[in-house]
Amino acid sequence: MSLLVTVALFLAADPPPDLPKCPSGEDAPDVVQLMKRTEALLEGRSSIAVMSMGMKTPSYERTVKMKLWSKGRDFALVRVLEGGPRETGMMTLKREKQLWNYLPQAGRVMKLPSGMMGDSWMGSDFTNDDLVRGSSLAQDFTSTVEKTFEHDGRKAWFVTLKPKPDAKTVWGKVELILDRASCVPLEQRFFDDEGALARRMAYSDLKQLGWRTFPMKLTMYPSENGRQTTITYESMELDVDVADDTFSLRRLQQGRE
Amino acid sequence: MLFAIAWRNVWRNARRSIITMSALALGVAGIVTLFSYREVANEAIVADLTAGLVGHMQVHALGYQEAPAIGLTVENPVQVEAALRGALPGATSERRVIGAGLAGSGDRSSPVMVLGVEPGVSNLYTLEAGHPPGAKEVLVGRALADDLGVKPADELVLVSQGKDGSVANDRYTVAGTFVSSSAELDGNAVVLPLAEAQSFFALGEGVHQLVVRLPLQKEDVTPETAALRNALDLETLEALSWAEMLPQMKASIDNKRKNQGFVDFIIFVIVGLGVFNAMTMAVFERTRELGVLGALGTRPRRVLAMVLLEALWQGALAFAVGVAVAAAVLYGIGTVDLSSMLGGDVMGVKMPSHLELKLLPGSLKGAAVTAFFTAIVGALLPALRAMRLEPVEALRHT
Repeated sequence: MSLLVTVALFLAADPPPDLPKCPSGEDAPDVVQLMKRTEALLEGRSSIAVMSMGMKTPSYERTVKMKLWSKGRDFALVRVLEGGPRETGMMTLKREKQLWNYLPQAGRVMKLPSGMMGDSWMGSDFTNDDLVRGSSLAQDFTSTVEKTFEHDGRKAWFVTLKPKPDAKTVWGKVELILDRASCVPLEQRFFDDEGALARRMAYSDLKQLGWRTFPMKLTMYPSENGRQTTITYESMELDVDVADDTFSLRRLQQGRE
Repeated sequence: MLFAIAWRNVWRNARRSIITMSALALGVAGIVTLFSYREVANEAIVADLTAGLVGHMQVHALGYQEAPAIGLTVENPVQVEAALRGALPGATSERRVIGAGLAGSGDRSSPVMVLGVEPGVSNLYTLEAGHPPGAKEVLVGRALADDLGVKPADELVLVSQGKDGSVANDRYTVAGTFVSSSAELDGNAVVLPLAEAQSFFALGEGVHQLVVRLPLQKEDVTPETAALRNALDLETLEALSWAEMLPQMKASIDNKRKNQGFVDFIIFVIVGLGVFNAMTMAVFERTRELGVLGALGTRPRRVLAMVLLEALWQGALAFAVGVAVAAAVLYGIGTVDLSSMLGGDVMGVKMPSHLELKLLPGSLKGAAVTAFFTAIVGALLPALRAMRLEPVEALRHT
């Protein structure tokens, strides 16, 4: 689940007819159905959202307010509404596996070289690769429901995900804590190939949006001490038409959203 | 008198003495030439490093050398510079800002090193085309300019992250291209005037490196580094010598010296055996004569001295000839281009392209020790034998 796709909600009064229900009553639910439900909760067809991203490091703390447009897994545009003087108006355009940045101070667009995909996006604890990765955990990993337990006062399933042999992933293992009532993730832990915890993502402020329950706040804790990045969704327009033109490179080059 | 006799003895068998002295002279010439060549090269490499990229020493924020980060800056360079001038009279310093970024021009982009230097102070680079950078202008390493396809007057966009975490981005005009003593700089660096770089990275007055240069060129700056450390607040700052910053380069120089010691020893053993052989023969041929000297009451000690002096005369002659040969070789070759060897680049440091060979006085010490020591050690056993001869038996010797 990439950062941008996470908010690409598809708000409808009713869930798609073929979507499995959340198996809240089962201690050991069918994991394939469960993962399908969870991903459907977090992914959708299109969205327009306003969010603020707070970044905390040992040397600085700052917040950037952004607007996001997305369409499916392949297209997304983020524009900085409020940030530092040189970054207000900055835009990041994702088209399939590629990223372009519009740099307001320079007034130019620069394509991100593939070698810099692992670098931080806007100084946050998300990488450029987090923005681009469109694959689903259910596709790349084999999931197992390990147990049922209490997490932060909520009944939850503990799911472990191991990469499939041919999966293109940097993680050696992922742990997922799913809320039994809603199937929404409460926490996600990413481990590297050596089994060390590389980062942890907490989901909170669960909110009912149409038929979905959705976490309005994501907090990323990297392994590095004293750092964290929090994304808080302030508003969302869901299931709205987003013009294909929004994701045009030409528009980006003109500095228009 | 003993010197004269020893001198005369050298020429009693002139052919043998000349052969022995030739071997000694060649050994001396080899040692002097190799030493001078190596040290001239070392001196040039160290001079390049200290005058350019690294300086004799550098002052950073504590921990910068271990893990460079854009936020680790020397906040008050003016104060630190005052302290370092007090500790090291005559020393100069250069402020630098170094960060990583992304440079783009047209459709091309490349990860780069963004370098802010004091215009007119830094001799990190040599302008190849264009003019020194002014406001909103940059210089681009020649190889990087080729990669990005930029030339003077073209536009270059830089992106990075500021110290405050914000997205640093701006558009500059390429003032020119440069070459430097570092292959890494030529291939990766974009040079900005210091103030431009400080504002790009949102550093205020802060700098990443204060490059310190001593008034006199020298290789071992351990005492100066200690003096500098005494003058600084080591809670927030670190001071490192060039050898501490480039430990591999230092180790490579030290290793070459160690290897030279080994080569000197081999030469010493081979030449010493030659002297030993020649002197053994000389003493053997003169057994009866030595017996006569003994019978006439010459003290054994004087006999010992006479034989040793004969070897020393040869050593002295060989030393003079050897040094002359070495000088002829060194000045005959004149200049050497190290940059065409080893791909011209050792550990990211380009080798000097114009190396003026000369005979270094420092080489004479090792060569003199080798020549005289070899002569004495080679002659010692035959001389002791001559000293211990019983006159009566020696006289009977046929």
